[in-house]
Amino acid sequence: MNVEINALSHTFFTPQPRPALLNLNLSIPSGQFVAVIGPSGCGKSTLLRLIASLIQPTQGSIWLDGKTPAQANAARQVAWMAQSPALLPWLTAEQNISLARRLLATRLNHQMSVEEALRRVGLQQAAHAYPFTLSGGMQQRLALARLLIQNAGLWLMDEPFAALDEITREKLTRELLELWQPAQPTVLWVTHNIYEAVRLADRVIVLSAAPGQIIADIPVDLPHPRAEDSIVFQALLKQLRAALNHSREAVV
Amino acid sequence: MKVQRLNGGQTAALIVLLFLILWEGMVKLLAVPVYLLPAPSRILRTLIEQPGLYANASLITLGEAFAGLLLGVLAGVLIASLLTLLPGLEDGVMTLAILLKSTPLVAIAPLLTIWLGFGVLPKILITALLTFFPVLVNVLSGLQKTNSHHLELFHSWHASRSEIFCHLRAPGALPYLFAALKISAPLSLIGAVVAEWTGASGGLGRVMWLAYTNLNLPFLFAAIFILAAAGMSLYRLTAWLERRIIFWQSQTGL
Repeated sequence: MNVEINALSHTFFTPQPRPALLNLNLSIPSGQFVAVIGPSGCGKSTLLRLIASLIQPTQGSIWLDGKTPAQANAARQVAWMAQSPALLPWLTAEQNISLARRLLATRLNHQMSVEEALRRVGLQQAAHAYPFTLSGGMQQRLALARLLIQNAGLWLMDEPFAALDEITREKLTRELLELWQPAQPTVLWVTHNIYEAVRLADRVIVLSAAPGQIIADIPVDLPHPRAEDSIVFQALLKQLRAALNHSREAVV
Repeated sequence: MKVQRLNGGQTAALIVLLFLILWEGMVKLLAVPVYLLPAPSRILRTLIEQPGLYANASLITLGEAFAGLLLGVLAGVLIASLLTLLPGLEDGVMTLAILLKSTPLVAIAPLLTIWLGFGVLPKILITALLTFFPVLVNVLSGLQKTNSHHLELFHSWHASRSEIFCHLRAPGALPYLFAALKISAPLSLIGAVVAEWTGASGGLGRVMWLAYTNLNLPFLFAAIFILAAAGMSLYRLTAWLERRIIFWQSQTGL
C-alpha cells in the first residue's frame, strides 16, 4: 500500500491550541519499511493515529492507495500495533487471535489459520495460556500474531518493543523482519531508538521537536541482515544523531 | 514450635466466636436482664426450640431478598448497558435514578404495601429498588472506563459499537459488577426485612416486628442472627464467584 501525505498539519485543542504536526509532505511507495524518529512529543504517534484514522487531521490530506484513512480502515487494510500489547486478559492466546480473526473475517482476502499465526511467532506451545502468564516479549509476539492474521497492506507500529529489555527487543526486531519479508507490507515504525531505526528501516524520517516537521529523510540502502559494525551503518548512525541533535536545538 | 497459619475463613470464625464468648461473659457477669440484652446461648436456644418457625420465615425473607436482588441487578445491568450504547440518554436517566434513590425507603415501603398488599411482591420490589442503584452506577462506570489501548485496537479493526460492547466493554465491566454485588447482596436482606416491617404476613421481618412489640428480645435476636449469617454467606458466595469468574484480576494488570 502506498502512502501519500500532503500538507498535513494537526493541532490539538486542549483547550489551548497546541500544534503537533506542521505541513508534512511524505510519499511512501508500497512495501517500504519506514522508521519515523524524533524527540518525544514531536508528533510521531499523532502521525500514526492520523493514518490509522483514530483522529482526524485539522489540515491536509492522507491517501492510502488512493483511499482516505477512514475508507482504508473500513476495509481493514491498516493494521495497528502499539507499545501496549493490548491483549484481552480474559481470553487465552489462541482466543485473542481468533477474536481478531472473527472480527476481521468479512474483509480478509486470504485466511491464515490461528494455529499458523501462532506458529509463525513461535507461540504454538502457549496457545492455551492466558496473557498474564506470558512474559512481556511473548505478549508482544502474540500481538504480532494478531497483526499477521489481519494480512493488511500497511502496518502502523508505535514503538511496539519499547517496553522490552534490550536483548528481547533485538531478538524481536530480527523476527519481525522475517515476518515482514514474505508479504512486504508498507511499514511505518515509530521509534526513538536510532539503532533500531537503522537496523530495520529502508528509510528513516526525522521529525523536529513540536510542532513536528520533516527535517531529514535518510535512505538506508543496506541488505538484511545488517552488520552493525560496518562503516556504512556507523555513518548512518552518526548522520541520524546529528539530525536529532539539530531537531532538539531548533526549539531550545 | 511451629505456628499454624490460619486461613481467612478460620480467622473470621475465630473472631466471631471470641465476640460471642465476650458477649456471653459480659451478660453473665453484669447480670443484664433478658429484656435488654439476651446472652448468645439464650438466643441459640430460642432458635433451636422453634426450628420450623424460623426456617419458614427465613425461606420467605431470603426468597424475597434473592428475587429482589436478581431483579435489581438485571435492571441495573440492562440500564447501564443501554446508557453505554445510547450515551445521549445518560443525563436524563441518571437524574431519574438518583431521584428514585434519594426517596426514603421508609416512605416508599408503606406505599407499596398499600398498593400491592401484604404478599411478597412489594418486598421484592423494594429490595430491587435498594439493590439496583449500586449496580447501575458501578456497571455504568465499568462499561465506560474501557482501556484506551484496547479501544484503539478495536477501532483499528473498524469494530462496530455492538462488537466493542460484547467483546470489550462487557467483560471489562465484570469486576465492577462484582464490586456492586458485594454491596447489593447484603443490602437485599435489609430491603426485604424493612419491607416486611411495614406490614407482612410472614418472614423474618414479621418475626422481628412481633418480637419487638412483645419485648421478646431472644426471639428478635434469633432473627438477627439468621440475617447476619445469611448476609455473610451471601457476601462470601459473591467473593468466591468473583475469584472464579474474574480470574485475571488478581494477576498483573494488562
